[in-house]
Amino acid sequence: MTLALRVDNLRKSYPNIMAVDDISFDVERGEIFALLGPNGAGKSTSIEVFEGFLPRDSGTVEVLGVDPGDRQHLPWLRERIGVVLQELAVESFFTVRQVLERNAGFYPHPRNIDEVIEMVGLTEKRDAKVKKLSGGQQRRLDIGLGIVGNPELLFLDEPTTGLDPAARRTTWDLIRLLSSQGTTVLMSSHYMDEVEALAHRVAVLSHGRIAAQGSTASLGGRDKGEATIRFTLPPNVAVADLPVTPSRVDGNVIELRTADDLTTLHRLISWAIEGNVAIEGLTVARETLEDIYLALTRDDRDGSEARAR
Amino acid sequence: MNVTTSDKSARGHWRHDLRLVAHQVKYEQLAFWLNRVGAIFTVGFSVVFLVMLGASAGNQLVKSLGNIRLVQYYVPGFIAYGVMSAGFNTLAITLVVRRETGLLKRLRLSPLPSWVLIASILLSTTIVAIVQVLLMLVIGRFGYHVAFPSSWIALLLAVLVGIISFSAMGVAISAVIPNQETAGPVTSIVFFVLLFLAGLWFPLPSGSGLAKFSNYLPVRHLMIAMDRSFLIPRGTSPWAWHDLLVVALWGAGATLLSMRRFRWSPRRS
Repeated sequence: MTLALRVDNLRKSYPNIMAVDDISFDVERGEIFALLGPNGAGKSTSIEVFEGFLPRDSGTVEVLGVDPGDRQHLPWLRERIGVVLQELAVESFFTVRQVLERNAGFYPHPRNIDEVIEMVGLTEKRDAKVKKLSGGQQRRLDIGLGIVGNPELLFLDEPTTGLDPAARRTTWDLIRLLSSQGTTVLMSSHYMDEVEALAHRVAVLSHGRIAAQGSTASLGGRDKGEATIRFTLPPNVAVADLPVTPSRVDGNVIELRTADDLTTLHRLISWAIEGNVAIEGLTVARETLEDIYLALTRDDRDGSEARAR
Repeated sequence: MNVTTSDKSARGHWRHDLRLVAHQVKYEQLAFWLNRVGAIFTVGFSVVFLVMLGASAGNQLVKSLGNIRLVQYYVPGFIAYGVMSAGFNTLAITLVVRRETGLLKRLRLSPLPSWVLIASILLSTTIVAIVQVLLMLVIGRFGYHVAFPSSWIALLLAVLVGIISFSAMGVAISAVIPNQETAGPVTSIVFFVLLFLAGLWFPLPSGSGLAKFSNYLPVRHLMIAMDRSFLIPRGTSPWAWHDLLVVALWGAGATLLSMRRFRWSPRRS
């Protein structure tokens, strides 16, 4: 059993909408897998099906080898998964320690409470009331609740939504730490940088379908695609004098798209050195994950809510 | 691959389940007393009210109930209040807040069985109600010379029927309240209007229009059941079967509504 999650042709509809429309993917044990997509793309619905919270319409789902849609398996499964919801689900009038102790009592083999408090960086706040914590600290406590049962598979539904940049970074560190300890992580996010920083593999969801999936580095072929070279046209040089042919000229900004960026750069720079011409504003860019994502989900964006970052 | 069946039977111990219930009741109690709002509403309010009313108007006589003192009417009345407040008002608000903040969903996704959660909430509510009942009895007895109930068993029965039925009503109203912001105002207004109509503060003359109207609702019947265990009005038996039946029917109706409408997850914006 090397797969933590197997999803084949999963469908799930609500009365007026097809929320998840025939998706398939696998998550290997020890992996961080991300579901990326705008709001309403089907990320949370999929996760709720995997957690055994929602029934599915059709398709096969195996979580840690069992069907979460089968009630008989749920007690076994719930001892082995951890869940962090979009909502900050923590009682505000308990202390950090009390909340963790309460939830630890539900599991057969919980983690040590002090260890969890240290992992989520709340050692100094262990006896503070939850309502006195900052948003980032509450989220870390929330993740602490997700891992207190020592889960094999952790579901993180938009773990850093609403956090400030510093709190996001510490949350990322925590997710990396969990992964290094062998916990499989299935996360959803609409932040590109987050997925790029954390996930080994990613599936982009759009309108309930998978628009693309693959390793984070190669999604949409961006590791092999064309590079874009940009620079400012030097003064007293005409476009025709350049050693290269621009793809686009925007005012005095020259843009070149090429699959062979090294040769092109070599030619350009040799020319500049020989002629003693200064080239300013030189950049080389490949498609970012954001470019790919925006291209893949273009028809999914109607208004501001889906605009990530 | 299929490791579940053997694992499951190994942990099907009733000891394990009882330990879980005890664990959860402990934290339900902690949540109730730390939260303070419920504690103030249920216990604090009735204590303050009984002390103040007892001291100011407690010795007025109530003709319609056989010339008992008003404070004798308030002790069983506020026992009923405590039971209803813990079961209805406090529970409904707690459930809405837990649902909308995702706490219920998180519990649902934890290994804690749903029946353990429900049993723990009921037990915890019972503990709160009994603390309040004992306070009313002690304040009444030693502050205002109100005798203990004539039948403790009749009182206990009324308390238990009240807790179960009003908890069911609390769950039912929580299921129809859309969000946290309205939970407090809606339940409190409904609750205090019902209490007023049922004559918690001013005894209703039986046969009055208000009394007839209140006879269709559960609050007055629970108050009557409490009264009867104290033999109020004078010369009655302590057993109020008819009144307890009406309360139980309301509880049954509320249970049916709860089973249809209960949600674990917050409403998504």
